[in-house]
Amino acid sequence: MTFFLQQLVSGISIGAIYSLLAVGYALVYSVYNFTNWAFDAFMVTGAFAAFYGITLFFMPFAVAIVFSIVMTVGLALFVETTAYRPLRARQAPRLFMMISAMGASLAAVNLANILFGGAFRKFPDIATGAYRIAGVSVGKMDLFAAAFSCVVLSLLWWFLERTKLGLGVRASALDTVTAGIMGVNNNKIALIIFGISGVLSAVAGVFFGAKYAVFPYLGLVTIKAMIGSIIGGIGSLVGAVLGSLLLGILETMISSYVSSVYRDLISFSILVLVLLFFPSGLMGAKRVDKL
Amino acid sequence: MGYLSTICVLSCINIVAVLGLAILTGYTGLFSIGHAGFMAVGAYASAILYMHFGVPFYLALVLGGFAAGLSSLIIGYPAFRGAGKLRGDYFAIATLGFGEAVRLLLNTTYKYVGGAYGLTEIPGLTTLPVALGVAFLALIGAHNLMRSEHGKNCLAVGQDEVAAQMMGVNLFTTKLKALFISAFYAGVAGGLFGFYMTYLSPSNFGIGKSSDLLAAVVFGGMQSLIGPVITAFLLVGIPELLRFLLDWRLVIYGILFVVVMVYRPQGMLGYREMNFRWLWAAIRWLKPGKPKQAN
Repeated sequence: MTFFLQQLVSGISIGAIYSLLAVGYALVYSVYNFTNWAFDAFMVTGAFAAFYGITLFFMPFAVAIVFSIVMTVGLALFVETTAYRPLRARQAPRLFMMISAMGASLAAVNLANILFGGAFRKFPDIATGAYRIAGVSVGKMDLFAAAFSCVVLSLLWWFLERTKLGLGVRASALDTVTAGIMGVNNNKIALIIFGISGVLSAVAGVFFGAKYAVFPYLGLVTIKAMIGSIIGGIGSLVGAVLGSLLLGILETMISSYVSSVYRDLISFSILVLVLLFFPSGLMGAKRVDKL
Repeated sequence: MGYLSTICVLSCINIVAVLGLAILTGYTGLFSIGHAGFMAVGAYASAILYMHFGVPFYLALVLGGFAAGLSSLIIGYPAFRGAGKLRGDYFAIATLGFGEAVRLLLNTTYKYVGGAYGLTEIPGLTTLPVALGVAFLALIGAHNLMRSEHGKNCLAVGQDEVAAQMMGVNLFTTKLKALFISAFYAGVAGGLFGFYMTYLSPSNFGIGKSSDLLAAVVFGGMQSLIGPVITAFLLVGIPELLRFLLDWRLVIYGILFVVVMVYRPQGMLGYREMNFRWLWAAIRWLKPGKPKQAN
């Protein structure tokens, strides 16, 4: 039983990181109906900014997180204005935006690989040790990451539900064109959405880097977050969190009870099965083909 | 010569796979980011058929193609059927998931397949003439296919699904056939690859391979066969010429993706088809004794 609880805790701690990114995927999808493949680039930027902020510039952890968020938001806004905005202005097919996003991600991640080298770097210790609760050890860093993720997601919820700009974002998600006619500045909304995505992926990048290691291809984990957001339902924010936690727990359980060899195989099989047979996921709206 | 012929063979193999993807992506408008998965199915199937079941080489290639085609139905049938049809980018993600699942499955299966160690001691039967011949046949086949009724249906679906449906095109069968043929091509390319390298490993068929294929189609041009063929050739050849830029290859790919999408989304030779009219015109013009124009 203790072993099971221990795995559950590990699963939730990785699921919390997935959920930050998955919310980013869901947010972008809910407004623009396309999958932002550039999240891995954002996440890598966040992780490297925090890593070098601490090791080269001796920033305290709090400052490093802010630095990482600033850098990542900068990249996110740059990608939005150069790679997505011209396509949106032309009303290009969504698939073109997806390819453009893949290009941005390919370029940024491999640039990081060339500039910094592919080595795995150990993130400086922020909080070591663990609490023992009923025989289950909970890492302090994991607890901190989970708490921080909760704060970030609550702030996001507050922003979307309780502020006027958030209302604009939700209106845009409902119908971008009509929202534009009603006086919502869609380019501003786009900047806000990609800004939020930047914040989410920076935080995810820092905590993922701190949990495992900092390396150029750490963004590959964003595929897991995408699977989480698809399990939760395409474009649903609550679903994205639930789906990611579920995926995190499932992966840990498979690793510990079956074999870690089958972990990714099962994750990708779930992705295919969900897309093919339950495309609306846990919480996604029933999709209707729009003319 | 060995070096050059290696580049030629690998280009031909790439051309066969890219032609398949051009049928699916360029013409039918369905993006696949998991085509390496179909290549893997074809490669392993044909190698195993040849080595363990004594199937002759050419038949093994064709059967490998069929195996890849059949495996594509696993995802194509539920994806395209009735109400559950997947919209554009989610079909692409489903193919990505499929491709990765295939790779990981091969990685963890040891009987026949060899798991992560790979499949070794495959005879090197893909020679330059074989590769050239198959690439040529593939090009002719794709060209004729695209001029057939099915090709026209694919074009219609790629341009506007709703309009195509209203004109009586059966979306389900058109898409499924396009996917099957596309996977068949990828499977044959995979088979050629296996019999050329004499060694197969699941790591040959990762996301990187799939995005290379997609890059060739996107750069080469939508609704064109000759464009992707040229880029498929260039994408094998240029990295060889620019060895010193090896690390930058993927960075350049990425930037090109964005630039192409922003400035020239139809690709290099988009909407332009291979034709030899200019050749006939040149021959006619050069032919002596024929009056050019009555003055």
